[in-house]
Amino acid sequence: MTDTGRPHPMPAISGGSLREAELPAAPPVAWSTAARSESPFFQGVRRLRRSATALVGAAIVLALVLVAIFADVLAPLSPIASDHANTFASPSWDYPLGTDQLGRDMLSRLIHGARISLLVGVSSVLLALFVGVPLGLIAGYYGGRVDGLVMRVMDLILAFPIYLLAIILMVIFTPTAGLIGTMKVTGAIAIVRIPIYARLVRGSVLSIKEKEYVEACRALGVRDPWILLRHVLPNCLAPIIVTTTLGVATAIIVEATLSFLGLGTQPPTPSWGWDLKANVAFIQANMWLSLFPGLAIFITVLGFNLFGDGLRDALDPRLK
Amino acid sequence: MRTYLLTRLFQIVPTVLMITLVVFVMMQSIPGDPAVALLGDAYTEEDAERVRQEYGLNKPVLVQYVIWLGKLVQGDWGNSVLSGRPVLKDVLVRLPVTLELIVLSMGVALLIAIPAGIIGALRQNTWGDYTATSIAMIGVSIPEFFIGVLLLLIFSFGLGGLLPSSGWVYLPGTCPTIVCATGMVGNMQHVLMPALALGIGRAALLTRLLRASMLEVIRTEYVTTARAKGLAERPVVLKHALKNALIPTVTVMGLQVGFLIGGAIVVETLFAMPGLGTFGIDAIVARDYPQVQGFALITAISFVVINLLVDFTYTFLDPRIRYA
Repeated sequence: MTDTGRPHPMPAISGGSLREAELPAAPPVAWSTAARSESPFFQGVRRLRRSATALVGAAIVLALVLVAIFADVLAPLSPIASDHANTFASPSWDYPLGTDQLGRDMLSRLIHGARISLLVGVSSVLLALFVGVPLGLIAGYYGGRVDGLVMRVMDLILAFPIYLLAIILMVIFTPTAGLIGTMKVTGAIAIVRIPIYARLVRGSVLSIKEKEYVEACRALGVRDPWILLRHVLPNCLAPIIVTTTLGVATAIIVEATLSFLGLGTQPPTPSWGWDLKANVAFIQANMWLSLFPGLAIFITVLGFNLFGDGLRDALDPRLK
Repeated sequence: MRTYLLTRLFQIVPTVLMITLVVFVMMQSIPGDPAVALLGDAYTEEDAERVRQEYGLNKPVLVQYVIWLGKLVQGDWGNSVLSGRPVLKDVLVRLPVTLELIVLSMGVALLIAIPAGIIGALRQNTWGDYTATSIAMIGVSIPEFFIGVLLLLIFSFGLGGLLPSSGWVYLPGTCPTIVCATGMVGNMQHVLMPALALGIGRAALLTRLLRASMLEVIRTEYVTTARAKGLAERPVVLKHALKNALIPTVTVMGLQVGFLIGGAIVVETLFAMPGLGTFGIDAIVARDYPQVQGFALITAISFVVINLLVDFTYTFLDPRIRYA
């Protein structure tokens, strides 16, 4: 489409005010042109590119994602094959980060651990997002009894300290190894995080639904799901994006903590939290064994935190 | 003022009821026969029948809940499957250790965060500010147990065993058994590293927050007025700015209590402290469900009570809230 100019002047709608008169007559045209102009989103991206810390964060996150995807290629040895002739080997050319008490290569375990950490971190947040955001949208938009019901359930979840609830859920799910075990941890963390998104979105929706453009949509007979998806949701996207990025950092810490307590993904599946815990017993003689998994968790969380912080600075309109 | 405190106090009743409901549902959802869960693996059919009668396990779920709740209120939290000891007693014995850890780590957090936040705000965009904010960023990204491991490496193994790596010395007068090590100094030696491990992460978060709210407050008109009337910088910062900047910080601290309780579970496990956390984790590993239930209940209830106390602090800092 070549027509990127402003929408054509249109007749006022039934004796309306100035604002109603400004309503686009052909909404689809107006929307497609709006997307091409400098939207707040693209302004945010430009500001993000200028922030050094956000770029460092993004680089760390990107590197970790690549490590997680290509773990099979990158890891020099199997993360679970034990070599009883080489237990507690010091870092060397054969074992860059040494081996643990079962003679497993630490570097390979860390590389594969990135997979579990990121998988649980990202998918639990996405799951929480896909449940929490619609709940928040519905509660905020419809208000009344629906709102009361949804928010009371959220309060129920929030009445528990998050680690305690995650622990309780893992007791019910019973931790196991492998993919199923990972899914259980993901589910537990997602449930704990749902209220964060529901509350966040509800708060934004409460103010957005009073705006004139939403009222205009209703007056035009646009159906509720469309209003919610096309007009309300995009306007509360900025806080959602920031909270999601920072939420991944939290989810990764919760996963590591659950594994540390022995309630996360069970061995032999490599997990940073479990590796740290298992090696604390040998900390005096082999301190690197607990240091490396801890550093891996720290760098990952730092990456998401830096990126999330940069995003917040870039997307917060008050800082313009 | 008193009405506010009383209303707030009554508001925790439904919350505590909700907690009991969730814990009840949790016990119901544990796979297998609940009678067996309450008795452990070694039981006779008569025992099982007796427990079913006692807890009304053959009655509708709602009736079961009411019976169970009645027992809780009367102080019957069940008996441990393994030791046979009453759960409530065991739990209450362990609570002070965890509370001491939480209170001290909050103290650590504030001791670090208040000066760091003030320096960050007053010297905005100087190297002092950059150092404070960078360290805070690192602090929020390290999980408690890794800070704990680093502290262990430095103070227990690095500096020739300066601080003990595990175990516990009770505060004088809090010994739960007939014989146990007590003493002020010993207690401090044992609690220092766990409190630091737990406090540092929260300190980092509070520093960031306090810096931000100090920056906002310092530009308000009443601070300018205080300065204009010739007040020295110290009372301006500490009395006028800090007290107001602390309000959002205290709110977040209340929200952080949940994290502190969770963190305490982890830190206790790392340092082998005889608190609620180790109690809970041991119970989970041993599948001692009455103990798990007691652990969940007492932890969640402590959370509500600590939150209430934080709310009260809030009214002290901001008198407007009482009248709202």
